[in-house]
Order: sequence, then C-alpha cells, then structure tokens
Amino acid sequence: MCHHNHIIESDLISRDYDGGVTAKMATAGTTLFELHRLTRNQWITHYKQYPPNVSKIYSYFECRRKKGSQFSEVVFFGLQYLLKKYLIGQVVTEEKIQEAKIFYQMHFKQAVFDEESWRKVLEKHDGRLPIRIKAVPEGRIVPRGNVLFTVENTDPDFYWLTNYIETMLVQMWYPITVATISREFKKILAKHLKATSGGLEGLDLKLHDFGYRGVSSQESAALGGAAHLVNFCSTDTVAGLLMAQRYYGCPMAGFSIPAAEHSTIISWGRSREKEAFERVLDQFSSVPVSVVSDSYDIFNACKHIWGDELKERVMERNQDSCLVIRPDSGDPAETLIEVIKILGERFGFSLNSVGYKVLPACLRIIQGDGIDLSSVEEILQKLSDEGWSAENIFFGCGSALLQKLNRDTLSCAFKCSYVETNGKGMDVYKQPVTDPSKGSKRGRLLLRRNSDGFLETIERGAGKPEEDLLVTVFENGSLMQDYTLEEIRKNARLRDEEVNPTLHNHEQELLHKHIINGVH
Amino acid sequence: MAAQDFNFLLATDSYKITHYKQYPPNVSKIYSYFECRRKKGSQFSEVVFFGLQYLLKKYLIGQVVTEEKIQEAKIFYQMHFKQAVFDEESWRKVLEKHDGRLPIRIKAVPEGRIVPRGNVLFTVENTDPDFYWLTNYIETMLVQMWYPITVATISREFKKILAKHLKATSGGLEGLDLKLHDFGYRGVSSQESAALGGAAHLVNFCSTDTVAGLLMAQRYYGCPMAGFSIPAAEHSTIISWGRSREKEAFERVLDQFSSVPVSVVSDSYDIFNACKHIWGDELKERVMERNQDSCLVIRPDSGDPAETLIEVIKILGERFGFSLNSVGYKVLPACLRIIQGDGIDLSSVEEILQKLSDEGWSAENIFFGCGSALLQKLNRDTLSCAFKCSYVETNGKGMDVYKQPVTDPSKGSKRGRLLLRRNSDGFLETIERGAGKPEEDLLVTVFENGSLMQDYTLEEIRKNARLRDEEVNPTLHNHEQELLHKHIINGVH
Repeated sequence: MCHHNHIIESDLISRDYDGGVTAKMATAGTTLFELHRLTRNQWITHYKQYPPNVSKIYSYFECRRKKGSQFSEVVFFGLQYLLKKYLIGQVVTEEKIQEAKIFYQMHFKQAVFDEESWRKVLEKHDGRLPIRIKAVPEGRIVPRGNVLFTVENTDPDFYWLTNYIETMLVQMWYPITVATISREFKKILAKHLKATSGGLEGLDLKLHDFGYRGVSSQESAALGGAAHLVNFCSTDTVAGLLMAQRYYGCPMAGFSIPAAEHSTIISWGRSREKEAFERVLDQFSSVPVSVVSDSYDIFNACKHIWGDELKERVMERNQDSCLVIRPDSGDPAETLIEVIKILGERFGFSLNSVGYKVLPACLRIIQGDGIDLSSVEEILQKLSDEGWSAENIFFGCGSALLQKLNRDTLSCAFKCSYVETNGKGMDVYKQPVTDPSKGSKRGRLLLRRNSDGFLETIERGAGKPEEDLLVTVFENGSLMQDYTLEEIRKNARLRDEEVNPTLHNHEQELLHKHIINGVH
Repeated sequence: MAAQDFNFLLATDSYKITHYKQYPPNVSKIYSYFECRRKKGSQFSEVVFFGLQYLLKKYLIGQVVTEEKIQEAKIFYQMHFKQAVFDEESWRKVLEKHDGRLPIRIKAVPEGRIVPRGNVLFTVENTDPDFYWLTNYIETMLVQMWYPITVATISREFKKILAKHLKATSGGLEGLDLKLHDFGYRGVSSQESAALGGAAHLVNFCSTDTVAGLLMAQRYYGCPMAGFSIPAAEHSTIISWGRSREKEAFERVLDQFSSVPVSVVSDSYDIFNACKHIWGDELKERVMERNQDSCLVIRPDSGDPAETLIEVIKILGERFGFSLNSVGYKVLPACLRIIQGDGIDLSSVEEILQKLSDEGWSAENIFFGCGSALLQKLNRDTLSCAFKCSYVETNGKGMDVYKQPVTDPSKGSKRGRLLLRRNSDGFLETIERGAGKPEEDLLVTVFENGSLMQDYTLEEIRKNARLRDEEVNPTLHNHEQELLHKHIINGVH
C-alpha cells in the first residue's frame, strides 16, 4: 500500500496535467498559487478566532435536502482528482510560506498570516497535511441530506487546517452536480429507449457532451467532462477524457465521430451546401458522420439535399457508416418532429419489435441545441406520441450539462459539526432562526445502510463503526484509495427500478418518503 | 511561453480534428470572429471585454507544438475515433515551418473597453495559407472568453447599481470599489475558473476573498495586489465555542483584531438576538470603542436578504443610534457597518438598496458579498457569445460567408472581414464585408505568429472600464442613453 502511494505521488509531481503557469513564472508563481488554491483570504485569520485549546475541528460535506427539488439523490464523484492534484504529498515548503507571508501582508495591509503554524507543518510532517478525509466511494448514489465526506485534523496542533481547506473541497459541488445531472439524463433516455425499442442498446452513447466551449475554464471542462463520463461514453470534450485517463485510470473513456461544423459548410458558399455535404460523405465513407444542416434552411436541406440530391449516397451507407443529421436552431422539439417527418417521407421507415417507427439504419438525427432535462423529456415524449422510436435520435448537450448549474442546484455545503477543546468533545451546529433548511448536522457522523436497505446518516457519534460506509481516502498526505473509472461506472449504473419505473413504484415511494421525512 | 505540459493539440472539441478534410479544396484562409450577439429583451446592452490576455499568455504564445505532443495526440485520437483521422502531417508542418508557433493573427478590442452587444470583439485568421484549418481549431478555447467577459460585465452592472444608490443617499461615491466583495471561490466549478472570474471582478472592484483572482491579476495583468480583504469570522469559528458562548466568540474577534475592520457572521442561531442583545447590549461598549478604521461589520447570512437587512439595521439604529449625512440619510456610527453576503444578485441588491433608501438609510451603511451570482450563475447564453467564420479565401479569391438559419434569425452571423469603429455619433459599430477604412479600426493586433503584441495592465483595463458620468448620474443623461439604446436595438451597420 505504501509503495503504491509513493508511486502515485511522485508520478503526479512530474506530471501536472495542466502545467500550472507560464514557464517564465514557473518557480515563484506556481508554488504560491498552489498554496493559495487551498483557501480563501479570511481563513488566514481564523486561527486567531477559534476558542483557546481547541485540538480538533471536524467538518463534513453534504448536499442538503431541499423541498421541491427535482433531484433526490446525488452521484458522488471528483474527490480523487482534488486529492491527487492538490492535497497529497508535500504541499508546504519554506518558499511557499515566504511567498504567502508577503502576499497576505499586502492583501490585508497588516501581518496576520500564521507563518509559525505553517512552518510547523513543514517541520513536524514534512509539509504533508495532517488531515483525514473519509468519503463515500466514488460513483455511489446517495440520497440528499446525507454526509458525503468528513474532514478532521489528525494532529491537535493543526485544528485550524480542517476548515482551511473548505474552499477547495466545497468545489466538489461541481463534479457531483454534473455527474448527477448526467445520470438524470440517463434515466430519461433509458425510460424512453426501453419503451420505444424494447431494450437499452446504445444507451451510453445517447447523450454527447458538447460543453467544452461553454464552461468557464479548461479545468472545469476537464472535471465536468469526466463527470459526464461516469454515465456515458460519448463526448467531444477531450479535456474530460484526459482527466479520466490521468486521475481515474481509464485510457480512453469516451468516443466521438467525424462531424461538420458551420464553418466547414458555409465556407463552400451558400450555393454549394450540397457539395459541402457530399464532401463529408466522401471523406468518411466507412464510419458514422454527423452533418450540421441548418446553416440556411434545415427543412430544405433534409427535403431536397439529403432527401433527394444526395439520397442515393445516403442509402449506400449502413449502420456502421450512418449519416447523423444535425439541426441546430429553432424550437428543439418542433424542429425535430418536422425533420423526422421529412426524413420518414423521403427515406421510409420500418417498425421495430414494439411497433415504433425507425428510420433506415444508415440515417439518424442528433439534436444538440437547447437540450436540457426538460426539453429532452419533451422531445422523446413527442417523438413517442408520433410513433417514433428513441433509437432514431441522439442528443448533444453543452451548457445544461456543464455550466448551467451551481452550488445551490444540490444545496452543497461544508459545515463544522464537532470540536474538541481541552480534551473534551462537543457537538456543534448552526441553526439560523432565519432559515431552518440551513441547519447543519451535529457531532461525528457515520453513513450506513438501515434495515430497509436505505442509506442514512447517524449523528452525534452514534452508530457502530463497522457499519460506516465512509472510507478513509486521504490521511496525512497519502492517498488511501485509488478508484478507477470502471469501478465508479459500476457504482453509478442505473438500477432496475430506474430503467423500469412502473414496476417499482412502491419502492420509489418508500424511498422518497424516507428521504423527505429524514430518518436519522 | 505557454504552459509546457499542456497539449494544445488536445485542447479542442473532438470533431475539429476531422475538419481539415471537410473544408473546400484549396482554401487558403479562414477568418472568424467573436461577438456577444444582440438579444431582444436582454438586460445587458453592453459588455466589458476582458480575459484574452490570460488565454494568450497561458496557452497560445511561444512554442505550442512539439514532436512529443504530436505523438501523444496521434495515439489519443486513434483510440478516441477508433480510426486514424488525426492530421499528423499538418501539425508537423507547424513544427518545422514555424518552430511550433501558431501562424495565427488575433485582433481584439483593448481589454477593459465597454462595447455594445452585436459588435465584433476579436477576429482570428491564419497568417500562412497552409494553416487555414487552425483558425477554427482554436475556437473551443477562445469561445471560453464568454466567461471573463460575462463576469466583468455583471460585476460592472453591480457597480452601476451601487453607484446610483451611493450617490443618491450619500452625495458621493466614496468607497464604491469596496462595496461588492467576491465570495465566490468555493462556488465556482474549478480553481482555474475562480482565478479567471476573480480577476474579472477586480476590473471593477478591489474587494475580494478569491485569492486565485489576485494571483491571476498579478501574473497575467501586471498588478502586484489588485484587491483587499479584512479579518472575518465564519460559522465554524463561532459555533466551535458552543451555543451558549456566542458572545465569547464575538468578543474573541474584537480582541484579536482590535485596530482593523472585522466582519462577524452573526446568524448562527439568531441574528436578531445577536444584534439586539449581544452586539447591541453585552458588547455594545466594546463596539463603540472602535472607530472607522477598526469598524465592526455585522454579517447576516440567512433569511430573506432585504427583510432581514431592514430588520437588522433597525435594531442596530435603535441600539447604537445614527446620524444624518449631508443629504439627509441615516448613517450608523462609523464603528459599525453591515455586510450582506447571502442571496445577493443584481435584482436583490437593487431591491435592498431601494428599501434601505425608502427607510431613509444611506448606502454607506452596507457592503455586499456575492458568490455564485457573480462567478457561477451565468453561461454563454447570458450575453449570447458566439464565434463564427465570416470570410474565406479559396484559390486566391475571397468570399464573405455566413450562416442564416431560417429557424432562428437571431443566430445569423456577420459577413466578411470586420472592423470596429466609432461612428459620427460617437458610438461603436461594426463594419462588415471588408468595408471601412483600416485607420479607423479600433481592433488591435494582440497575437501574431506566436508572439504577444500587446501587454495590458490591470491599471489600464480598470481605466477603460470605469463608470462614465451618465452611468453614475443616470437622470442627467437620459436622452443620450435613449440614443445609445435605440442605436443598439436598430443595429446601425
């Protein structure tokens, strides 16, 4: 185990995936940046504010329950990235201490930085963080309102460290939320695919990540892209694939196909859209291709160019080299219904085993504009109402998957719940009279499966340690678990009742009631 | 030099690997541009241009192609597409012909400039005909410009609201740039986003807890310290004393930081009780000992932001008294202020300041903290940011190109080579189709063939982005605003 961890750490020190900062500033700048990634300014001042003789600060992270939220459970994902990239091994050096000291002097216009304590981390622990983090295994599905991970100091001198790293750890809201939303998409797609085709073939290719350009940075693209890959293996967000490779041991977590974009079509000129389309077919004759077709008039393109002038070229192709037509404007559902009608008329269709219409195997559609959880449900429902199978269609999603979400989407929060002062433990909490939903859990926490089989959190240090589903993932600078994407995908797979909702309604009601009533 | 371990060849949407095979034969130039498209009914009619210099310095300048990166990309894409489709040869040509530097020219509006929606903000084109395919290869990365632009814009919109109320209820704008504190570090999606968003906020303010943003301003925009903060409590430092010792926890902060401003979150159990009995009674003397330079800033953090605030300021006014300023509004003693950092966004800040003003309270009494609404609750559609090809050269002949989907006219793109100029009314406008006089062009070459051509400092950027008179004194310049607004909506080209 030690040897294994050692390899991981040194491997990471030389292979920082994003390179940090520009080379000319590499030495001074990088180190300072790394130290500051851990925290927010004001916490520099917290060591002076805790009660005297505090020896332990114990905090936890949860996605608080929220009345009326459409998300009752979450996918836990992303912690391993943070641990490997920012927390393991030696994170404190004398150089970093000096830089921080100078920085904070300028920032607060006074000397308030706790230089001494950081030097102690360096001297006592070789600059490794004396912290323990216990967490739900990655990929696990956990109902809202449960502890997801806990953080505590392992050395009484460093009680102040626990919440120092809150800023960084709270960013866990992001990969958790993307993975959760991605999985919600999967439930909707599975339901309709099952109903209109009799099976789930190709489910994990049904939602393609188009979000790279629409997120706020390269790093967010990598994190969000990887989170999507927990549920699907269809993506154009290369950064996510690299993250899955480097932090989750998966050499190639997702796939894509050759595809056009508007510039490759319009650069031929308005009168040569057909030539532009034909070029794609010629260049990629034996693999699936996607061709955006709304540069000027999607309906004309489907009816006259694909459906007439190039119809033979399309019919020549087969399932492994199918043409996937991409509309990209207008009302998503209406445009789609119109497009599939036109294609049905031009290319014909057959009926599958459950009586739904399917276009010829050489022809499919991908809708990548305006897709979110409600439009995808609306589209699939409309298609189904018109007798079309969900097999005909793929979806691309950008912002709604990777950017149109925030910490409030799943009410993610990190709170202190237990402290030790003068050797005595005390359960602590906040309970603002102005908002009961912001109340926090009390004492040391444990996550277990109860007698009904549901996950629940036990507070106040109660419960039997052997029942605890939280696993130590980080301790004193070492990574204690190394999850692969493969395991994570297994943990996160859809359950029977999520694929066949009608058969298990009573179980769902039980779970839902359990969550709402908060059995602790 | 751009980041060493970052593989530029892998920093794009997968499908762009396949585009070199799809352009018309003999294309020698692809020219594209970026804009924040106009949108009917949008509350944002103009944008702050910011953030490109970071991308250039971090990812684009110097040598970005090496043989090692070519090999890594080749293997990667083979697995990803399950076939060989990667254009190894062309990337090797970049390496051999240009030492791995990008033969690209980017022209842009100077950073910090305020530009009405619907105008070109930057253009991208290849400088060597062999590399026409490069222009749109970097689209993915460049479109992420939507983020710093949008944060800087929203931050500035906050500033307009704060300025308006501060001016009206205090007679001046003193301390305006400390009025909105960035609390958003934990609520963004990554460290890098925190840095970018944090820096964008610093274009308008100098109050922040998002250290990453300060570092970005330092390293990429030449500003050693772009923002400031004060010692402050958080819930854990209060509740760790136990429920019965909230007063001791409060007192600790006062003691530890006796000569600087401090902020103390006071809603752990009951904000009203804390204000009325702990601050307003048990610790009242301790508070009154302090002065403007060591003031106590009380922080509510739950409940309806406006209602809670009004209630809190009422209690504090009763307990600590108040004076009237030169324009007749109530101000708490200089040793006491409030910061509202929960639930703050553009509409709640307007609502709160209006309510305060209605109750006769000056905006001097209050500071705001903003997290998600500043740095995360925004997306590419907020300002309709888009990157589109507008001009190509094939067989030596130029052609203006565009999309014009019948299904959505607002998605139409501009045509031909573009120029940004100030017209005779003094407003910025975009000239299409290669028309307009080059000497009028406000777009500046910022990147060319691997070199950074401009190096903006945050100081210059802040100057460019400062509020104009009419934004501080809205009533005095209404007719100008109407003119501008009409100009934007009618799209004078």
